[in-house]
Amino acid sequence: MNFDRSVRRKVFSRGMTVLTGLAIVAIMVPLVAVIYETLLLGGADLNLGLFTNGLPYPCSPQPGVTCQQGGLVVPITGTIELIALSSLVAVPIGIGAAIFSVEYGRESPFARIVGLVSDVLAGVPSIVAGAFIYALVLLYDPSIVFSTISGSLALAVLMVPIVARTCEEALRTVPNSVREAALALGISRWKATLRITLVSALPGIVTGVLLAVARSAGEAAPLLLLLGNACTHPLQGLNQEGCALPLFIYQGATAPNANYIALAWAAALLLLGLILVLSVISRLTLNRMAKRMRGG
Amino acid sequence: MSEPTPSPPSASRKPRRVSRWGDRIFLALVVIATGAIIALMVALFVVLIYGARASIQTVGWAFLFTKVWSPATNVYGIVPQLVGTLVTSAIALLIAIPLGVGAAIFLTQQAPGWLRAPVSQLIEMLAAIPSVIYGFWGLIVLVPLMRNVGEPILYTYLGWTGLFSGPEYGLGVITASLVLSVMAIPTVTAISRDSIAAVPRSQVEAALSIGGTDWEVTRRAVLPYARSGIIAGIVLGLGRALGETMAVTLTICNNNVLPTSLFSLGQTIPSLIANDFFEAATPLEIPAMLEAALILLIITLSINLGARAVLLRFQAGRGVGAE
Amino acid sequence: MSGTSGNSANSPASGDTMVRSKGKSRTALYAVVAVVVVVVIILGAAYAEGWIGGSSKTTSTTCASGATLNGAGSTLVAPLMVAWSLAYTASTLNYASVGSGAGITDITSKTVDFGASDAPLNPAQRAAIPSPGVVTIPESAGAVVPIYNLPGVSGHLHFTGQVLAAIYLGAITNWNTSAIQAINVGITLPHANIIVVHRSDGSGTTFAFSSFLSASNATWKNGAGLGHSTTITWPVGVASKGNSGVTATVQSTSDSIGYVDINYALTNGVAFGAVQNPSGNYIVANLTNIASAIKDSNVVFPAPTGDWYNVTVENAPGAQDYPIATYTYLFVYTDLGVAYGSSFSKNAAQNLVDLLAWMVSPVGQSYAPSIYYVPLTSATMTNDLKTISTITYNGGSLTACVP
Repeated sequence: MNFDRSVRRKVFSRGMTVLTGLAIVAIMVPLVAVIYETLLLGGADLNLGLFTNGLPYPCSPQPGVTCQQGGLVVPITGTIELIALSSLVAVPIGIGAAIFSVEYGRESPFARIVGLVSDVLAGVPSIVAGAFIYALVLLYDPSIVFSTISGSLALAVLMVPIVARTCEEALRTVPNSVREAALALGISRWKATLRITLVSALPGIVTGVLLAVARSAGEAAPLLLLLGNACTHPLQGLNQEGCALPLFIYQGATAPNANYIALAWAAALLLLGLILVLSVISRLTLNRMAKRMRGG
Repeated sequence: MSEPTPSPPSASRKPRRVSRWGDRIFLALVVIATGAIIALMVALFVVLIYGARASIQTVGWAFLFTKVWSPATNVYGIVPQLVGTLVTSAIALLIAIPLGVGAAIFLTQQAPGWLRAPVSQLIEMLAAIPSVIYGFWGLIVLVPLMRNVGEPILYTYLGWTGLFSGPEYGLGVITASLVLSVMAIPTVTAISRDSIAAVPRSQVEAALSIGGTDWEVTRRAVLPYARSGIIAGIVLGLGRALGETMAVTLTICNNNVLPTSLFSLGQTIPSLIANDFFEAATPLEIPAMLEAALILLIITLSINLGARAVLLRFQAGRGVGAE
Repeated sequence: MSGTSGNSANSPASGDTMVRSKGKSRTALYAVVAVVVVVVIILGAAYAEGWIGGSSKTTSTTCASGATLNGAGSTLVAPLMVAWSLAYTASTLNYASVGSGAGITDITSKTVDFGASDAPLNPAQRAAIPSPGVVTIPESAGAVVPIYNLPGVSGHLHFTGQVLAAIYLGAITNWNTSAIQAINVGITLPHANIIVVHRSDGSGTTFAFSSFLSASNATWKNGAGLGHSTTITWPVGVASKGNSGVTATVQSTSDSIGYVDINYALTNGVAFGAVQNPSGNYIVANLTNIASAIKDSNVVFPAPTGDWYNVTVENAPGAQDYPIATYTYLFVYTDLGVAYGSSFSKNAAQNLVDLLAWMVSPVGQSYAPSIYYVPLTSATMTNDLKTISTITYNGGSLTACVP
C-alpha cells in the first residue's frame, strides 16, 4: 500500500516536471514563430535599396502590373531622430534625479518619494503617455501637436522612469569608500560626483540608457497619436509631421497593398535587428566594464 | 586660512568661490531634474483632466455606465471598452499564469544549471520584442489560423458553454487575448522566478529531508513561501496587459460594441484611443478619449501600486519564517 | 599649488588609480559615443532637409516653392493624393487619409490647409466654417462599388439598390436568399451568413453609398440614424477604418460584403459587383461608364462659396451610366491670410494655389486614369481654375503659376 502510494507520488512529481517543462516549450513557441516569420518575410527582399529609397506607390501585384518595391529610408531617419531627441530629454532628467536621490537625499523621505514616483511612472501605458503629450502640447502650441517633437516628448516620458531607476541602482552599487576617497582628495562635490562616482557606475548607467532606448525605439502607440502621417516624403523639420519604423509597421500592416505589407515586414526585421544590437551592446558594456572594475 | 577639509599639499584647489558655485549649480540642476519627474507625475493627471473637461462636464458619470460609444449620435460610454479591456486581460492572464509560474518552477527547480541562463535570456527576449511586431504577426499569422483552425475547434468542443458563438472572423477578443498573453508571460515568469529563487535553501532542504518528491517540495515548501511574490508578479503582468495597445489594436478589429462571445469583435480602451484618435470628427470625441485615457491611467497605476506594495511586503518579510 | 585637480602625490589607494585611469578611458568612450550620436543627428537632419541623398525637392525656377502643405480627409481619393504627392515636387504635400468626416472637421478647425471630402458640406457644416468661409473645388471623380468575398463565385454578382439596402439593414442575412438569387440566375450562392462590413469613421464613401441606398429604399431613406450622411448608425455589421480597412477586412473574411472606391477593388484584385442603374441595366463600373455618368448628370455647379449639398452625379439617366459615381471635393479658405493669420506665409499661400491649379490641370489629372479615377472634364477644369483664382491672401490676389 505504502509502496503504491510512493510510486504514485513519484510518478505524479515526474508528471509535474514534464508539465512545467512543457510550459517552457509553450512559451518559446511564439518567440520562435515571430522571429521566424519576421526573418522569412522581412528578409525576402533585403537589398540596399531598402535603405535609400522612399515609399513606393501603394500597389498589389496584378497581371500586367509590377509593383515598385520602395524603401524605408524615411521611417529609418524618423526613428533615428526620435531616439536622439527623446534621449536628449530623458537621459539628463533620469540621471539627474538618480544622482539626487542617491548622492544628496539618500536619507530624506524625498528620495523615497522620487523612487516611488519613478516606479509608478514606469507603469504608465504608452498610449496614455501619447494622450498626455497631445493634451499638453495642445495647450502650448496647437500647430506642433502632430510633429516629431511631440512624438519624442511622449517617448521621453516613457524613458525617464527606466533611466532613473537603473541609474539609481547603478549609483547605489558604488561603494561609499569611493565617494569618501574622492572627497578626501579635496575636489568639489559636483566634480567628485560626476567624474568619479558617476564614472564608476557607468556600466549600469549605459545599460539603463540602452534599455530605455531599445524600449522607445519599438513604441508605436504614442506615435500613432502624435507623429502624423508623413511617411511618403523625406522628413521636413522637427516641428512637422514625421514617420518612424514602428509607426510604419502599423500602417503597412493595415494596408491592403501587398508591397506595403512586404515593406512592413522588412521594417519589422530592421526594428528587431536594432533592438537586438542595442541589447547586445548593453550586455557587452556591462560585462566588460564590470570586469575592469573588479580588477585589471 | 582655515579650511574645513584638510587636503594633501600637492592637490590643487580651485578657488573656493568657484567650486561653491559649481556645487550650487550642480545641485540646482539635479533638483530640477528630480522636480521634473515629480511634476510629470502630477501633470499626467492634471493635463488629462483638463483636456477631458468638456467630456467630464457634458457626459458626467454616465460615461462610466453607458453601453454605447457612438460619436455620430454624440453618445459616449466607456462600458464596451472597459469590458473588452477586462475580458482580454483576464483571458490573457488565465493563459499566462500557468505557463509563467510553471516555467518559473521549472527554471528554478528542475532545469540543469547550464540551461537556466540561456532560457531566462530567451524569455527576456520575448519581452523585448515590440508589441507592434506581435500585433503584425498576430494579424498575418494567428488570425487566419484562428479563423480556419482554432475557432472551429473551440466551437466544436466548447461551444456548449455559449462562450464561443457567432461568426468566426479570426479577429476578435479571443485572438487579441492570445497575443496579449504572450506579452504578459515574461513579467509573470521573471517575477515568479525571482520570488521562488528567494526561498531560503533551508526550506527546500527541510522538505527534501522528510522524503518529499520534487513536486511536493515545490508545492508545500516553496510555493507558499513565494506566494505573495508570485501574486505580485501576476498583478504586474495584469497591469502590463491592461495598458497594451498595438498588439490588441491589430487583432481585435476595433468595434465599439459590447462583446457577446469570445469570437466577437471588440475594443479595449487603449485600442479605442489608438484607432479613433487621429480621425475624431466631433467636438466631444477627443475629450471623451482623453477621459478614457485618464480612466485607464487610474486603473493601471492602482494595480501597479498594489502589486508593488505586495512585492515590498514579500521582500521585507522574507527574513521572517514561512507563513 | 599646481597640478591637475584630483592628482595626488600621496600614494593613492589602488582603487583611486584604477578609478582615474578607468575614468580616462571611460571619458574617451563617452566622448566617442557623444560624437557618434551628434553626427547621426546631423546626418539625419541634413537628409531631412534634402541636402544629401534621396529625392531632394527640385525647385522650379519661376514658381514659388519649398512650402509644406497639409491636407486631410477622404480615404476614397487617398491613392490619387499619394500619386500627386509623389509626382509634385515644387512643394511638399502631406495628406492624412482620415476620412471625409475628419477632413471636414480639420478644415473647420483650421488644422489643415485643405480638406478633402466625397461629401459636399451640409448646411450645418457650412454654417460651422469660420470666416472667411471656404470654396468647394471638385478635383476628381470616382465610384463606389460593392465588394465581396465569395471564393466559389466568379464574375460580377448583380446587385440592386433594394438588395444592398436590405443587406445593410439586416433584412437579408444569407447569401442564398431568393432576393439575391433572383437577380443572379445561374450563379450558385453559398448558404452562408453574410458578413456585412461598413465604415467606422465619418466617410464620404459612406455618404455616396448611403445616398444611393436612400434613393432606392424608403426604409433606408427614412430610418433613424440612416438616410444619407457621412456617419450612419449601422444596424448590422463589422466596422473597419477607411477604404483600406474595409478592403482588407473583406479580402480576409469569407462571405463578407463591403463598399469601397473602385481603385481599392481593382488595385487589390477584390471581386466587386455590378449595380443596377435607373435604366435597369447592371453596370460593372469602369472609367468609361463613370465618366459618362458624370457627363449625363449635367451638373450645374453652384457658386464656389455657395451651397453644394444637392450636387450629385448618382443615378445618371444614361443607359450605360454607373449609378454610384461621386466627386471628391477640396475645401480651401477664400482668403488664406485672413483664415490662418501670420502662421501661413504668403509663400505658402502661393504654393497652395499653385498646387491646386496643378491638381486640376491636364497634367495633374493625367495621373488619375491609370489608378482608376475619372479625370475632370475640361469644362470642370476651367470652372475650378476660375474658383482657384478667387483665392486671395489678405486681399491680394494669388495668380496660379503652372510650371
